Amino acid sequence: MVVLNFTLTPEAAAKVHDLLVCLGKFSDAVAIEARRDRFTFTALNSSKSAYAALTLDGKQFFISYECIPSHGGPDGRFTCSMYTKALLSVFKGRLYDPLGRDGAIDRCEVSVQDRPDQAECRFIVKMVCNQGVIKTYKLTYEAVEVMHALFDKNVAKNRWSMHSSAMKEYIEYFGTKTEMLDIFAGEDGRAVFKSYTEKISNGKEILKHPLVTAVAVNTSDFEDFNVQPGLHIIISVKDFKAIVIHADTLKTNLKAYYSQPTRPLQFNYGCDGFLCEFTLMTSGDYAGLTPTPAPQISSRSDSRAQSTTSERTENRGKRPEMPPPAEPASRRTARRRNPGSRRAKSPKQGDPDPESLFVGREEEDRSWDPVDYNNEEETLGWDASADHEAAIFPTFRDSGSLSRTETEDNNEAVAPTQRVSQIKGLW
Amino acid sequence: MRFKASIQNITTFTKLTASLNSLGPLAWVKLSDEQVCFTIIPEQGTQVWAVLSIDTIFETYTVQSAANNVINLEVPLTSLNRALKSALNATSAQIRLTKKDNLPLLALTIATTSSSNSYAAFPTTGANNEDGLNTLDASFGGGSRETIVTQEVPVRVLGPDTVAGLHEPQCREPDVHIILPPLMQLKSISDRFTKLALLGARSGTTASRTRLEVAANMHGCLRMSIKTDAMSISSVWTDLNNPELDPGQVAGGDIGIAEHPSTRMKQLGSADGRSEEGWATVRIDGRDWGKVMSVGRLGGRVIACFCHEHALILYVYLPNDNGDDESVLTRLAWRFFHLPISSYYDLHTNF
Repeated sequence: MVVLNFTLTPEAAAKVHDLLVCLGKFSDAVAIEARRDRFTFTALNSSKSAYAALTLDGKQFFISYECIPSHGGPDGRFTCSMYTKALLSVFKGRLYDPLGRDGAIDRCEVSVQDRPDQAECRFIVKMVCNQGVIKTYKLTYEAVEVMHALFDKNVAKNRWSMHSSAMKEYIEYFGTKTEMLDIFAGEDGRAVFKSYTEKISNGKEILKHPLVTAVAVNTSDFEDFNVQPGLHIIISVKDFKAIVIHADTLKTNLKAYYSQPTRPLQFNYGCDGFLCEFTLMTSGDYAGLTPTPAPQISSRSDSRAQSTTSERTENRGKRPEMPPPAEPASRRTARRRNPGSRRAKSPKQGDPDPESLFVGREEEDRSWDPVDYNNEEETLGWDASADHEAAIFPTFRDSGSLSRTETEDNNEAVAPTQRVSQIKGLW
Repeated sequence: MRFKASIQNITTFTKLTASLNSLGPLAWVKLSDEQVCFTIIPEQGTQVWAVLSIDTIFETYTVQSAANNVINLEVPLTSLNRALKSALNATSAQIRLTKKDNLPLLALTIATTSSSNSYAAFPTTGANNEDGLNTLDASFGGGSRETIVTQEVPVRVLGPDTVAGLHEPQCREPDVHIILPPLMQLKSISDRFTKLALLGARSGTTASRTRLEVAANMHGCLRMSIKTDAMSISSVWTDLNNPELDPGQVAGGDIGIAEHPSTRMKQLGSADGRSEEGWATVRIDGRDWGKVMSVGRLGGRVIACFCHEHALILYVYLPNDNGDDESVLTRLAWRFFHLPISSYYDLHTNF
């Protein structure tokens, strides 16, 4: 039996919406881990190449937060998993609206119903709206063990930090449909972000090859840039975009930590009791690199032990640990060709801010595009699929059988009077 | 083979590629010493033959090749447009033909300064201000604040013999020429008509193609209509302008004008558009028309030339920045043939 109750301000609920949108780009389901002092959303993508942990601080992020796990004492936790879409349909957009328009809430109360004397276990979200309307959502959840990716910051000597809005400008240059992102620390005081696709195509197919985009940024434009010159590190560009877009909703600095290709990379950012950590698989060629890797590899087991202990001292407690597996050398090239970002759902790229009040230049230009007539939504006309019997014989509706015979008669009246076979000679 | 230029008018170039992209995914781009040609020849639908003077979009332009300094490329328009879009806020943009891993590509090098500097709390802000005093230096010296974006668009180099067989279609003298009303107005009405025609098509009473009937006379009227079994709708514009023909441009001079089909058409019809006479009519596919209307984003003046029951050719003229004389910037040819496709190249008429 667990006690978990918390209350969110509209702003915080809107942040939950944003983080769910972001996690939805990684996985169909999010895992929830509630502890006495904090609440964490985690997601692991299907190829297990990207792991996200977004932690909300019990004291800072919530109006009130109470979590008493059923067992485990001070280190205990309550874990479950839910569909991202289900949560998103509760934590909709526009929860926070200073003008109090449609969809805006006053506060959001969440509790978990998980007691032996109750027939159902439910994750209950109450949206207290303006004018005293309360919307209650009861969501089912699946009890799961939550796993965490371990990341050892001590080994990650390469670091940089940049404001998310600058980074967002850069990702907007990237072409659609590209797969990889190469982050390269040049020796000329520039860092290069290159989005590309490693696909070999011939002949006519060449023209379908996605755009290769390289953005060269002065390292002085970073808040902080401390990376071994000449180092290339390659991640999935979709993951990167998802992270940057989310970081930009918080308007914070995005920080990257990594050691060398094939070892995990971590992005983190956060503010006001909200910490986001993304641990990503990397690839890239480190054969041509200068010495540093070797000692790091040898010290790996030590450093991991170190990280584990430090985790424990942080009161994270015992849990199944899942360090990203070291990639076997034999598979390295194969993986590079096949980045682990094959998800059914791809992020919608380049979507203009749906909440913007202004018609962007983009939008205006779009009105010149040819109309997509297959788009049913805009079609002018009557709903031909509507039940005609309902409209014509509204009073007969209750006696279903009667109305049916009526329509059958109707159909007979307009049925063809001649069989097609009889007039075949005509054409 | 060398091609290098700096892009002078990024907005025009971007809009041009966007409107061409509506009509087809690939363009044949012909770069020569005098001009740049963009041609789209889709399997069906509208052909575009656009000719631009070099300084419309480029400056410091070099093109060199063994074939009379002409380079023919096949360019994917979606990628090119996407690449150009990233240059919309650029301080400078270069384009050049290059090779990587033995594959030809058009590389765009775009220098931008961040659009918002408020977040950039660099310790070097002071230095930045000094640059501001000395703007000339900053722009020529490639100020260190700049972010360089490179976009690589894959292309195919076409040999001279590949393109030798491609010619602009010839067509007889038009019966009616008229300046079209603002394209946004025209587009929104024709889009509505096409939707209505599609609804008719869905109920199975008409053919699946949506034929818009477009007609014009020499008295400033343009009529757009659709007819299905169930309905007939039309919109008529009046008081449009039929430009005068220039004797210098028409074969035969003044005599040529006197014998020109449009002179005969002037005798027929009326300015209120009520008369049934004097219309030159073409039937066009509504969806194709919608794609052609995409050129409106360039904001040019469009003259439509109607060959009755035969073809419609649109000439798009872009306003010239530095003079009242409009240059033929883009020439879009929209063609619709009632004749079987095989006789396409058998039409020998002067234009």
